[in-house]
Amino acid sequence: MIEDPAAFDRLLSDAMALYEQGRAALRALREIGDVEVGQSERELIYTEGKIKLYRYAPLARSRGLPPLLICYAMVNRPYMLDLQPDRSLIRELLFLGVDIYLVDWGYPDGADRFTPLHEYICGSLGRCVNAVLNKNSIDALNLLGVCQGGTFSLCYAALEPRRVANLITMVAPVDFKTPENLLSKWVQHIDVDLLTQSGNVPGELLNLLFLALMPFKLTQQKYVNLLQAQADRAQLENFMRMEKWIFDSPDQPATAFREFIQWFFKENRLLRGELMVGDRAVLLKNVTCPVFNIFAKNDHLVPPSASVPLGAHVGSAVYDSLAVDVGHIGMYVSGKARSTVPPAIANWLLAHQ
Amino acid sequence: MVDQEQGPWSPSVFLKAWDDYVAASQEIYKRLNDRGSGASGSIPLPFFGAWQEFAKSLGMPSGLNPATDFQLDSVISNLAPALGWSRDYQSIVQRMLEIGGQFQQRYAEFLKQSADVSAQALHATRLRTAADPRLASSPAAAYEAWIDGAEAAYSQAAHGEAFAQSLGELCNLLSAFKVERGKLLDALARHLDLPSRAEVDTLHRQVRELNAAVRAAASRPSPAKPTPAKPASARPTALKPKPRKSRKPAGQ
Repeated sequence: MIEDPAAFDRLLSDAMALYEQGRAALRALREIGDVEVGQSERELIYTEGKIKLYRYAPLARSRGLPPLLICYAMVNRPYMLDLQPDRSLIRELLFLGVDIYLVDWGYPDGADRFTPLHEYICGSLGRCVNAVLNKNSIDALNLLGVCQGGTFSLCYAALEPRRVANLITMVAPVDFKTPENLLSKWVQHIDVDLLTQSGNVPGELLNLLFLALMPFKLTQQKYVNLLQAQADRAQLENFMRMEKWIFDSPDQPATAFREFIQWFFKENRLLRGELMVGDRAVLLKNVTCPVFNIFAKNDHLVPPSASVPLGAHVGSAVYDSLAVDVGHIGMYVSGKARSTVPPAIANWLLAHQ
Repeated sequence: MVDQEQGPWSPSVFLKAWDDYVAASQEIYKRLNDRGSGASGSIPLPFFGAWQEFAKSLGMPSGLNPATDFQLDSVISNLAPALGWSRDYQSIVQRMLEIGGQFQQRYAEFLKQSADVSAQALHATRLRTAADPRLASSPAAAYEAWIDGAEAAYSQAAHGEAFAQSLGELCNLLSAFKVERGKLLDALARHLDLPSRAEVDTLHRQVRELNAAVRAAASRPSPAKPTPAKPASARPTALKPKPRKSRKPAGQ
């Protein structure tokens, strides 16, 4: 209860000021319109169906490293790594003289419904690796796997160890059944056979699930904060780019998704050494190249406990890790990650070339 | 069905209802034909009460509120079994109704859990506001306190087994509903001579198999072609290795 009339007046005027700020922010947002993402110059190197392999145009003298192939997750679009010129992990790495290639999984549709996981990992990813190796006339490249793409990269490196010179995993889950992993807890009760029986899993459903992890912050607070932040045009554009990315979730190909959820989330086969991809066993001990594991301390999607166990399971003599004090998305775009992660990657690669 | 308290229905009650209905119909037609009587005005329904009486005489309960008294479960349990030439479709619709009923029930449980989260969040916010009076005088600070409290309460519930089970059941029921709906849409597509999902799936499978076969064929070394017999003098030159092409791009 507010008994002081002056305090009540203050409260009222504060509320009115917030209301006016909010109106101004909404007006400004309307004027922004669509925003551009992924603007760094790149060249299409290889394509098969919806899957594309790009090479980014160099922005600095080469450091003489083997090219770095980035394998991003299928559940979101990879332009998060090149969101805008001043928030781009890819640009930062290019400025450090790293030659960058990127696998873009595209937007799967009904035609991809029966494509199994092994066709993505051993087939498409394998052929992208081959394309990079052939283009550069080399035997092995550096592989950077991000989020679910990190899990794919681990599988690939375990199956084809001679083609991966160095492996970097970023916010990549390895142990899918840790107590902090809320997504995993929920998934245990979902009948994934039934879920995928009527086709691909809509991206909207995944979005809903991701929002449900922190509903008050993700569906209310961030918008309220935006309205009262008195943001300038650049900040509003940043917000809209992020908003665009968050809700730009491709549908998930039914068979591959079912296998991923069943084998990784429900049965934790990768960690238990029981994973078969196609007819080949995926054993983390077969990953023998140097490994650099980067994870976010405040990750609500892939908690540190899901990433940290990697070191105990790979067969690499060289295993390094980097914990960054950010969240899952902050790993790609936050100022803290921008100043830490790209130099750490470039220096680590230089040390192990 | 006969209401034991009302006794067997009386023909006079039905005749009264019918009589009122005919009278109301005649009144409506009369007004429609007579432009001067204000036909667009409200039309009384004097027959409705008599039909209510008639329904009551049949033992039907009166005073039901559809919003509160309608029970999907009882509708489902009273459905006739799927019979006849459309039995396949009937059983799909019945299954959808069953799933709908189960979803309603589970969703109510889920809402109950959500309401508990909100109550806990409110309690946490009140405690924080009481401990720090500055929060009460600033809407922004009070809002932040509410979000923190709500997120903490939600997180605690969301990590619990009951919440995960509820969420899983809702998801599974929606998936099951989608499967049944797909069956109906597939049937409709067949009747309209449109490609059904099943047919498109078959095509996709065939394209996948063809792609795999083409890849496998391309990766196999091509069998040695039978070479025509050449004169002995020509053989040594044929064995000479070809010079390798330079990898250096033009202009370097």
